Amino acid sequence: MNDDALIAAVARGDDTALRELFSRHAPWLAGRLRAVLPAAEVEDVLQETFLGVWRGAAGYRPEGSPGGWLWGIARRQAALWLRRRGPAELLLPAVIAADGRYPGDPAEAALSRAELAQAVSALGPEGGAARETWRLMYVEDKSVAEVAKLMGVSAGTVKSRAHRARQLMRAALRHHEPAAEGGGR
Amino acid sequence: MNVELTELTRRFGHTQAVAGVTLEAGPGVFGLLGPNGAGKTSLLRMMATVLPPTAGRLRLLGRDPGGFGPRREIRRRLGYLPQNLGYYPGFTVADFVEYFALLKDMPPRRVPRAVAAAIEHVGLGDRARAKLRTLSGGMLRRAGIAQAIVNEPELLLLDEPTAGLDPEQRVAFRALLREFGQRSTVIVSTHLVEDVGVACTEVALMDAGRLVFHGTPGELVTRGEGSGAAGDAPLERGYSAVLAAARSGAAARS
Amino acid sequence: MTGNELAGGYPDAGPGPADVDLDRVWLGVAAQVWRRRPGPVERVTGRLLRSPGLGRALVTTPSLLFGWLIATVVILLAGIGATVSTGEPWVALLAPAVAAAGIAYAYGPGIDQAWELSQSMAVSDRMVLLVRALAVFGLNAALGMAASAASGAAAAVTFGWLVPMTAVCALALAAATVTRSPTVGVVAGAAGWVIALLAGQAAEGQVTAAVTDSVFVVPYLAFAACCGAVVWLATRIPRGTP
Repeated sequence: MNDDALIAAVARGDDTALRELFSRHAPWLAGRLRAVLPAAEVEDVLQETFLGVWRGAAGYRPEGSPGGWLWGIARRQAALWLRRRGPAELLLPAVIAADGRYPGDPAEAALSRAELAQAVSALGPEGGAARETWRLMYVEDKSVAEVAKLMGVSAGTVKSRAHRARQLMRAALRHHEPAAEGGGR
Repeated sequence: MNVELTELTRRFGHTQAVAGVTLEAGPGVFGLLGPNGAGKTSLLRMMATVLPPTAGRLRLLGRDPGGFGPRREIRRRLGYLPQNLGYYPGFTVADFVEYFALLKDMPPRRVPRAVAAAIEHVGLGDRARAKLRTLSGGMLRRAGIAQAIVNEPELLLLDEPTAGLDPEQRVAFRALLREFGQRSTVIVSTHLVEDVGVACTEVALMDAGRLVFHGTPGELVTRGEGSGAAGDAPLERGYSAVLAAARSGAAARS
Repeated sequence: MTGNELAGGYPDAGPGPADVDLDRVWLGVAAQVWRRRPGPVERVTGRLLRSPGLGRALVTTPSLLFGWLIATVVILLAGIGATVSTGEPWVALLAPAVAAAGIAYAYGPGIDQAWELSQSMAVSDRMVLLVRALAVFGLNAALGMAASAASGAAAAVTFGWLVPMTAVCALALAAATVTRSPTVGVVAGAAGWVIALLAGQAAEGQVTAAVTDSVFVVPYLAFAACCGAVVWLATRIPRGTP
């Protein structure tokens, strides 16, 4: 059964479908939450997440990404938890790296950083072609010609690598958005 | 010591189902073997406080079950799986386990999690909300085991628990026995000798209401060596040897 | 980690962090998903009787269908016997004993598939029977009151038998809860029924006969004792097979 069918089954009150969803998705959700929360809180938030799935499965629209929908619920629960505990709890490296200055809601900032870190890691290992291209072009703001010279490849290659990097990032970030972009996986 | 029996006797009219059994059991897995009609079920029923003894002394979890208060306290810490456990067809597995958890005076706050843990422990997690009438014999038996363990009992009494379980489920069940045997007294009554050998730390053999052997499975095996007794496996030979000796001894006495 | 993400796999698939106990998390989810949330009747009963188990026993009584049918048939027959006035008090006195025996059989060793297990429970099986008796009479009384609007005969059985017996069961349960003895509860309930009968006779103008004619007192008490004995006998620890 694919994820869409499982979520539909959960909406009909099938607890075995929830069990299957849990075994498929709890590990990676836990991993992603672990980047922002301590282990004990990951357990609590994950539990609330799947209870949220059980109660809210009827609200899932099949055109979206199931993973994105699940992460959306987990994200909300995590943010709730982070806001309750206050800024003192936000001592994960992702937040510290912003040298203590974060705009707006610190919980959202922490989660956004975790999501961004995941998307960047989707570009491949550090030093790999796509990631290096992205870093040079968008973080260090170099021109196509400069990147081509630094990496020792043609401008056309740089452009196609940049295009590929954008594609990978978009796909990875889409996993965080519940049905935000219509169509697709 | 969780179980202390002293000359425990149970009569039904003129029949002596249990004839003066003396036994002590602490934490661990205790196997109760014997042919049908040996009195194992009556003994287990007395330990489950379902049947009062006719004579002798019984102490369970340090208390005398004769008094109403102590009996209730014993029952809160007891898990029992009778030989013939019926089921309520319209109940789901979760309903069934939850019902008995509440009747064991478990604090209601603890019940849902304990029920979930017991159901997952016996491998019925994907049938928790299935009605009992849809379950096979082996699954029903496992539901019975789940209600027995739901309150994490200090004394776990299981009468023919493996009836209907396939070999894979028996392996899982023996692991469960060992796990509970770490901190509780588990008494398993069975006529399947091989069930016993692997999981039990102590074994008792009953015949015609009497205790004819009490020791480790290794000692039972030793009794069977070189005796020429019937059996395909060492424990079975020990079992037959002890029974034969007990019966010829009884015949000589009478 | 190149094209896999686009193929629909998750960018961070794997076994999950080592310090997160996913089995524990699942148990927390399952506990809430699988539980049966007690309704108001169960909660109130559980609190009044100081036992959530008895509350659950009460509400599950009708769902133990076969027992429910037998118990209902028995009490309705007994009720018809009790309310058809034959001029003799014996029938009305016998009726509760018959009803008690019927309920004890329907939910006891005769029919309850898990009877032996129930006997090993911390919550006494006789208390459970008393609670079930209340459920059987109470629910049938409620149905009877609805039926009374349409049928005079139903009204007679409902108000002459079902409703009073529901009160008697409640009295029995209250006495049993306070004294922690189901037997005391049954005797109290039987005494309550006897008093109700006497009151009924007094209302019909036979006051002098009921009160001064002491020849009735002993038989009334004897029947109260019989009710208790019937229930006790029907539910005692069975001799069973050795």
